[in-house]
Parts: sequence; C-alpha cells; structure tokens
Amino acid sequence: MVVLEAIGIKKHFGGVIALSNANLRCYQGRITGLLGANGSGKSTMSKIICGIYQADGGEIKYKGKVVKYRSPSEARKDGIAMVFQNLSLVADLTVWQNIVLGAEESNGMFLDDDSAKELSQKILAQLLPDLDINKKVSQLNPGEMQIVEIAKAVSRNPQLLILDEPTAALEQAQVRNLFSYMRTLAKEGVAMIFTSHRLWEVMEICDDVTIFRNGENVASIDFEKEGKDPDKIIGYITGDVQKKRVEGKRERIVGETVLSVKSLNYGRSLKNVSFDLKQGEILGIGGLAGQGQIELMHALAGAFHNVRCDVELRGKKIKLNRPLNAIKEGVVFVPGDKQLEGLFLKHSVLFNIIFPKTSLPHPLFIPYEEYRKECEEIVDVLSIKAPTVDVPVETLSGGNQQKVVVGKWLPFDINVLLLADPAKGIDIGAKRDLYQYIVERVQKNNMSVILYASDSEELIEYCDRVLIMYEGQIVANLEGEDINEDTIIACSMRVR
Amino acid sequence: MNLGISSFLESYKKVIVAFILIVLLFALGGLIVPNFLTVEQVLFTLKLASFTALFALCQMIVIAAGGGGLDLSVGYAATLTAVLTASVMDGQNANLGAAILIALALGSAIGLANGALASFLNLPPLVVTMAMANILQGIVNAYTAGRNITGRPSPILAIVAAKSTGSFPNILFILLAITILVMIVLNKTKWGTILFGVGSNETTAYLSGINVKVVRCFAFVVSGILASLTGLLLIGNMGIAFKDMASNYVMPSIAAVVVGGVSMSGGDGNFIGVILGAVFLQALTNLLIAFGLGDAGKWLVFGIVLYALLSFYASNRRSR
Amino acid sequence: MNKTNQGSSKLALSNYVFRPEFSSLLILIVMFAITAILQENFFTIKSIVRNINAFAPLILLSMGAAVVIISGGIDLSAGAALSLFTCVLTTVMKKSDPITGIYALLITFAVAILVGVVNGIGIGYLRIPPVIVTFATSYIWLGIGLFLRPTPGGESVAWFRIFYNPGMVEGISPHIEQFGRVIPPALILILIACFIWFIVSKTKTGRYIYAVGSNNDSAYASGINTAKVQMQACIINSIFIFLAALFFVGQNQSGDARMGDPLTLRAIASAIVGGVALSGGKGSVYFALVGALILNLVNKIIFFANISTAYQTLVSGLIVIIAIAAPVAYTLYSKE
Repeated sequence: MVVLEAIGIKKHFGGVIALSNANLRCYQGRITGLLGANGSGKSTMSKIICGIYQADGGEIKYKGKVVKYRSPSEARKDGIAMVFQNLSLVADLTVWQNIVLGAEESNGMFLDDDSAKELSQKILAQLLPDLDINKKVSQLNPGEMQIVEIAKAVSRNPQLLILDEPTAALEQAQVRNLFSYMRTLAKEGVAMIFTSHRLWEVMEICDDVTIFRNGENVASIDFEKEGKDPDKIIGYITGDVQKKRVEGKRERIVGETVLSVKSLNYGRSLKNVSFDLKQGEILGIGGLAGQGQIELMHALAGAFHNVRCDVELRGKKIKLNRPLNAIKEGVVFVPGDKQLEGLFLKHSVLFNIIFPKTSLPHPLFIPYEEYRKECEEIVDVLSIKAPTVDVPVETLSGGNQQKVVVGKWLPFDINVLLLADPAKGIDIGAKRDLYQYIVERVQKNNMSVILYASDSEELIEYCDRVLIMYEGQIVANLEGEDINEDTIIACSMRVR
Repeated sequence: MNLGISSFLESYKKVIVAFILIVLLFALGGLIVPNFLTVEQVLFTLKLASFTALFALCQMIVIAAGGGGLDLSVGYAATLTAVLTASVMDGQNANLGAAILIALALGSAIGLANGALASFLNLPPLVVTMAMANILQGIVNAYTAGRNITGRPSPILAIVAAKSTGSFPNILFILLAITILVMIVLNKTKWGTILFGVGSNETTAYLSGINVKVVRCFAFVVSGILASLTGLLLIGNMGIAFKDMASNYVMPSIAAVVVGGVSMSGGDGNFIGVILGAVFLQALTNLLIAFGLGDAGKWLVFGIVLYALLSFYASNRRSR
Repeated sequence: MNKTNQGSSKLALSNYVFRPEFSSLLILIVMFAITAILQENFFTIKSIVRNINAFAPLILLSMGAAVVIISGGIDLSAGAALSLFTCVLTTVMKKSDPITGIYALLITFAVAILVGVVNGIGIGYLRIPPVIVTFATSYIWLGIGLFLRPTPGGESVAWFRIFYNPGMVEGISPHIEQFGRVIPPALILILIACFIWFIVSKTKTGRYIYAVGSNNDSAYASGINTAKVQMQACIINSIFIFLAALFFVGQNQSGDARMGDPLTLRAIASAIVGGVALSGGKGSVYFALVGALILNLVNKIIFFANISTAYQTLVSGLIVIIAIAAPVAYTLYSKE
C-alpha cells in the first residue's frame, strides 16, 4: 500500500534550484532508499516531506490525502518522523529528556518523567542497551548520539520514518543493530525512507531505491524484481552509465622514510601510536569509527597543544603543538568536517584559498591580482564547479566545497598531506576527481599522504599500506594482498 | 555576470537601505521643520555622528573577530582617558604628546585586559567588558570623588575636534582619514583577511595556522586604543571632562554597527555602512528633537523606529 | 552559529571541571563571613529584614535575567521596564480611592505581559540579536515612562505599603503586622518568584526553556515552537520585574521613569556570577539569587569597611570578573 506519494515537487533557495520536478513513493512495511550525489535534492526532498521546508510546487499525498506541512511538529502529529543528519539533540539535556523532547507526556500540567524514562529504556534496549539514559548528551560520542537521535524518532511511533544518513557516524556493529531494528519496524508496517552515501548499505537494507540527479528522480529500482546492480545504480547517480570504476592500482614506488612518529600519546584517545611514512606512499588509516583516527589526524596537524610524541620529518625533529608548526614543515591537513573545520562558508572561494598563506610570513598587502590567477588555476586543476572565484563557498555543493579545502593547500610545498575522511558526504563524481588528482600529485612530486577513510572501499582502492586502529592504538599493519574488505573488517573488529 | 551584480546588490543592500533611510529622514525633516535641511545642519549632524561612528568602529572590529565579541567598555575607557588627560594637558599644546601617550597606554592596557580575559580565558566578552565598564567607571568615580575635574584640552586638540574649516567640521577630516585607513587595512592587507577569517570560523582559521586567541585579543586592544583616542577627541570637542561624558555612546555604537549592516555573528565588517548607521541614529535623534517632541516622545519614537528597522533587516527569520 | 560553537568547544580551554555554581557559593560564604565580622548586629532579625528589603529588587531582576539568559536571550530593557511599571502603577492609582490600587495591579500586570510579548517577538519570532532588540525596547519603555511621569512622583494608595512594610498600613491586623516584622513582604515576593519558577520548571515550558537556550535549531527540529518558548521566558522575566515594581512603589509611594536603569546590567551580572552561562541552556534560576546576594554584600562590605562608596562599582566589576574567571583559572591551573 502506498503510504506517501510526492508528485512534481519543486523547490528553490534564492536562485539555486534544489528540486525541479521530483517524485517519490513509499510503501507500508517497505524501506525505500534515496540515492543521489550531493546537491541532487534527496535531502531537500526528505525535509519537505517532514515539514522543515515547504515545497514551491507539486503536491504530497499522505495516506491518500493531500498534505502541506508548515513545521516538523505538524508532520509528526500525522506520524511522520525524521532522523536528522545534523543532529537535532540538545547537548545540555539528558538522553531520556532528548528522546521525549517535543513530545512530552504530562500528568495534568506537570511533566511525566517516569513514563518518559521507561519509554527511553524500552527503545534503547534494542538499539544500544548499555547506554545510561541519565547521561547528558554532551557526554556521548557521535555514534551514541546518532542512536539516541534514532530512538527519538522511533519514540513517536511513526508510520513513516525518514532516516537521513543515519549510519555515517556508526560503527559496523551498530549499523547491524540498526538494520535488524529497521527490519522489525518494517514488519510492524512502518514505511521508511533511507539515505546513505554507502551504496552497499542501501543495497542491503532497502526493498527499492529511488535515484535523484539534479533535482529530479531519474530512476526507481525494485530490488526484488530487477535485482541489485551497483554499476547500473552508480551510472544513474553520476548520469554516465558507461563509466566504470577505475580498476587496477598504480605501481607502488617506495622511497625513504619521510615522517616518523614514535609513541604519540593524547589523553585517552591515542595511546603509544608509532609508525613510519615513506616517500610517495599513500598510508591508509582504518578501523571502526571513533577509535582515535580523527584524533590522530588532528594531532599530526598540530591541533592539540598538549600532545606528547617524538616526530621526525626527514630526520629532523619537529614539534606538533601548533598547526602553524606543522604547516611550516609542509604537513597540511584536510579535515573531515569541511564546513566546521575547513571552510569560511560566508566568504569567497578566493578568500578561502588565499587564507592559509597569511599564517606564514607574508607581505602586509595582499597581491590580489596574482592570487586571483593562482586561484583560478587551482579551480581549474581540481575542476571546482563555481561560476567565479568570488562566490561564497556556501553556494557550492558539498563535493566542490571539499575540493576548495584541498585546493587551499596546493600552492604549498607539501611533504605530507593529511586527509581525514575527505569523501564523507560528497558525491561520487567529486570523490573520483579528488582522488584522481591526489594520486597524480603523489606520483608527480613525491608527496606522501595519510588517508583516514571510514569507507574501507577507499582504503582498498587507493592505499599502499593500511594501519588499523582500535581504542587509540594501531593494531594491524596491512600490506599488499592483505588490503581487502575481509581482512580490514576482521582486524577492525579484532577477530584476527 | 547577472549573478555578480545581484550578489553585489545583496551584500550592499543594507548599506544602500541605510543611505536611503538617511536621505528620507533629512527630506522629512526639511519638509516639516524649517532650517533642518541646511548644509550647516547636515554637517552638524555628521559631526555629532562621527563620535558614535568612532566608537562603533571599536565595536565593529571586536564583533568582526567573532566569538560573541562586543565591547561595552568603550565609553568608559574614553571617559577615563578624558578625565585623566584633561589635567595632564591643562590647556597647553606642549602637553598634547604626553596626553596621547597616556591615551595609548591606557587604551592598550584596557584592551589587553579585556582581550586576555575574553580570549585566553574564554569568558563571554559581554560580561567581561561589562565588568570592565564597571571597573573603569569605579576608577573615574574614585578619582573624581571629592575633587573637581580640572584641566582643558590643548588648543590643537580643540581645533581638530571642535572647530570647523569654513563650515566643515575638522573632525570629519579625521573620520575620513580613518575610514580610508580602515578600508585599506580590512580589504587590502592580510590583517583584514585574518580578522574576518577568525570571525567567520575560528576552527578553520586555527587549523590554517592562525593563533585565534592572539587575534581576538588584539582586536580588543585595537578597540581599547581607538576608544581612548576617541575619548581624547571628545574632550577636545567638549572642552571639559566629566564623569558620564562617554557612557551614553556605548549602546548606540552597537546599534550603529547593526544598522550599518554588519553581522553580529562576526566575520565581516564594512565601516562605511557603520558610519551610515551612526549618521542615521544621529539624524533620527536630531529630527525628533527638532519636532519638539520632548524627552518622552523622542525616546519612544527612537525605540520604535529602531525596533522596526531591526525587524526589517537584523532579523534571521529566513535563515531556517 | 551553533555549528561553530560545537566546533570550538573541542578546542576550548575551559572544560569546567569545577562547576561555576560552586565558586559562587564559595564567594557568597566568604562575603557573609566578612559582612558578619564587619557589621556587629548582622544576624539580628531587624538587620536581616533590612537587608532583604535592600536586596529584593536586584534578586527579583536577576532571577528574571537568568530565565531569559537560559532561554538563549538577554534583556537590556529590564531596568527600563521596572521604571515603566512603577510609572504605570502610580499613574493609575489615586491616593484617595483605595480601589484604584486593584485597578493598578491588574493594568500593570497586563502591561508587564505586553512588555514580555514585545521583547519575545523581537528575540523569538523576529530573531533579532537579543542585545540589540532589547536595547531598542528599553527606549520604548523609557519613552512611555517619561510620558506618564515626566518627573519622579505620582500617587499611591496607602495600602500599597503592604508590599514593603505591613506595619505602615493603617488599620491592619496586629497579627499581619507581627508577621511582616519577621517575614518581610520583600521575602514573600522573592518566594513567589521562586514558586513560579518551581512550577514552570516542572512543565514543558521549563524543559523547553533549557532546550531552546542550549540549541535553538535542535529544539526547533524536535517540533518545539522555539519562538513561543523564548517569548514565554521573556514574559516570566517581565512578571518577576513586575513583582519588583510592587516592592518599589510600596517602599517609595512614587514612580520614576529612570530609577531602574542601573539595575539592568547588575541583574545580568548577578545571573552570570550565579553560574548562568551566557551561551544559554546552562545554570540555575535559583543560583541567580546567590549572584545577586554576592553583588549586594559587596556594597555592604565597602560601606561597613569605611571605604569610599566611590569604589562600589569598581569592586563589583572585579567581583564579576573573579567569579566567572575563577572556575576557568582553576581548571587551567589543575591541568598544568
């Protein structure tokens, strides 16, 4: 039975068209996947359905009736709940207060806290039984927050549940828990919309998939009837059915040791991390989410002032207590959360690209003409899609924003490029462009790369060597044939 | 190209609106009140507004550095400077150098204290500078308790701040020079780039190798110095120093920044807009006085107009 | 805005191990000790009653300020609103006609709600930065206040003294008079404010005030009408200010359009000293009371230590800085 039908939805933000003519159908007890590159409109579609945005055109039929929600609370009253990608949790309230937030039960005029705690306990028992519901959300890790977010949406007994990138912050085990819970919900008749950048997840959990491109739905595939063909799906997403994934790895050229890290310690998140990085090497960092990988990247970038370690760059001791020290030595960092840590969203592409130069000795006056040319070259080299270099980066799509973050370091003499999950939340085309450029540059000027990727596919495809982290330590060093899905997952979960 | 023009209009929209509003105010004044729209009257309004504009410049720099920056101590720093330098100058040009040195030292000390607390200890700037305002007012009170504030500004200072060349107030030359300097520093040098970068995303700036805390602290120091120097100009204009001479500039200076179209969340700044904001507030006040509304009507209309103006373009309604 | 806050918190130095409430309590105890030493009869009922009367307006305003700050706002119009309420009360009341006191109460209460609504519209619905919008409204309250009372004065019914000292009301029963000598009306007004907040904190509104102040966008996404919640916070603040106005008119029997101005920033400072975080969502409304006590005791100490009162503002400025810097400095010190 069709629960929701969206027909010809249109939506624009200022001059940018997010949805031009989008259709979507969801069925009772089925999980519908939404796929599409960043900026393809799938997130906008979800937000229109649950009332965060209002459509400019088209209509939404929910259980056969035309509806027009003006706020999430209106949609929720009708049984539509959404799990947010940008978390909707309040840090200063506890887990159970957050789960019932906005839907509190009252005893007369006062809040009924006992039933709220009971309900929270009941839902979390299936998703994350060990969590203390009296903890404040500010004390949770990202994976736990995401699960509380899901519990919050489920607590409303929705008939339609929208899950927007729920797995991005989760560990593999948590993803399995979530999937089995989703199947239980589906059996109870809940319709679900599931979006993820990880193709295999969509193929595993969804019953059918709708693919968005440039604000339109370009294809719908019923997995039962039409089977699961990743290449066909990728083709729909990129709009280029012919292009296959890049096969065959580059030749590995190992030089001498560039960076040698010995006994790096940082609080409780990094314990005695030691490794060497060779000239011209792409070193992968893998493992379950939240095992210290992101902290390791930050520590190497000099972001923690009280980190303890012995680090040598080409035999010379360097201190990593300030980002500037790292940058001076050509150790540059592309952070995972580009909007929070890598960009000045309100400012232009040009501003973003010339900014790091100001931290090094630099003449007082900025030679704008020269830098503009340089910036235009960078835009060209990375094929950043921007009308001019003067547009604010917030108007660019996620993939192009990530390219700007990489681009700002290109004028530097890079010894080590630190990449923290650069492909997170960007579309497949941009991801391919980015990695292609990095591999080329590694081959051309012998720069070395440390790449943390939450998606093991990227590690397998691009890395010469992969270190697996677990609870702040390096637990495995994989080379050659060992770099494969099975071994990586086995080491990550400490099976091997 | 179309996009270029519209985004240009977008970013200067508030400045243009502020300008149109000022023109409307003067036109309205000219229609209703005789002698309101004369060259002298306009120049006089500009002269009064220039002090608010200078305090608003302090405010703008601190706000641009982000982190909820605000400087409620500017008026009090100016008052303290004026009170102290009045007796030092004692009406002699020879003592002007010493007075300027005192202003610089005092301003940087106040700014450094604000900046150290707000930036290095990460305390909310609103509270820090409010407490600093109390402390400075306390020092002024203690200094002036049981004694008369003596001393006059040096004649040069009086010429610069109070006198006019023909009918053109000299202070406007100062304002013009500062405007040009500020525009150059903010838009052409790396200092401006760093300031706006730190204000719009401190984490990005930090990871790009900038010492965010030092930059924020420096913004407060600049604000303190500018406030003290403005205090010097103020005594030059008024001829005497008194206990509450500059405290009434604090809130209007913030209002001028907002009316001038500068975002309170940091990361941008446009001094021309801020000057227009200051002129608007001054013109509005003058107009209300000229209408003969009396105190009650003046403040009531001032508040309502400001509220209406804010709801028109300081509102974030559409950001969701 | 929330985004950058989250990002910066990772790098921020101040990881409050030592909760700000503790340091404020500590300071309060020290203050009490010093005052008790300096003032011989500090712990007599008469002296306590006098102190409560002197402290009441700031305490009430600081609790209101705390509610607004926790909800993510700030109110720079509190002092002007207090003045306005005294002007409305003394304009409506006619000395000769006791019933006008009731009218005055009702009308001023309505004005208080309206004041909260106007601030709430600006902060919540129009989403104008609170600092600047309440600055604008403070001029509106001042303007109306001056319109009603161009100079301080006005009339008050005699029984309004019940809000200050029941003993001064003619023909009051001796029991009430006796009671008022021990439990002054000012204390009852403060307890009423505490009770109002106690009730509110048990309802959705109380929970939502914290949620909205902690993270406005998240609260909105959770289906909370954030604008309404911020407006409710402003209205609660306004009611607390209204209670302070009753005390003032009870005490002075007159209204003044500018009397409240010095209290605005002091009320905010009290809330902050009491451990309410300016960023919103954190702190306790009751602890604002502690902050207000601290700031009041500072002035007493200066008075009794024979220091010139000219130093009062200076010292209270220093106290504010010490109170907010102490926990952070302690954290830094213990880390090194």
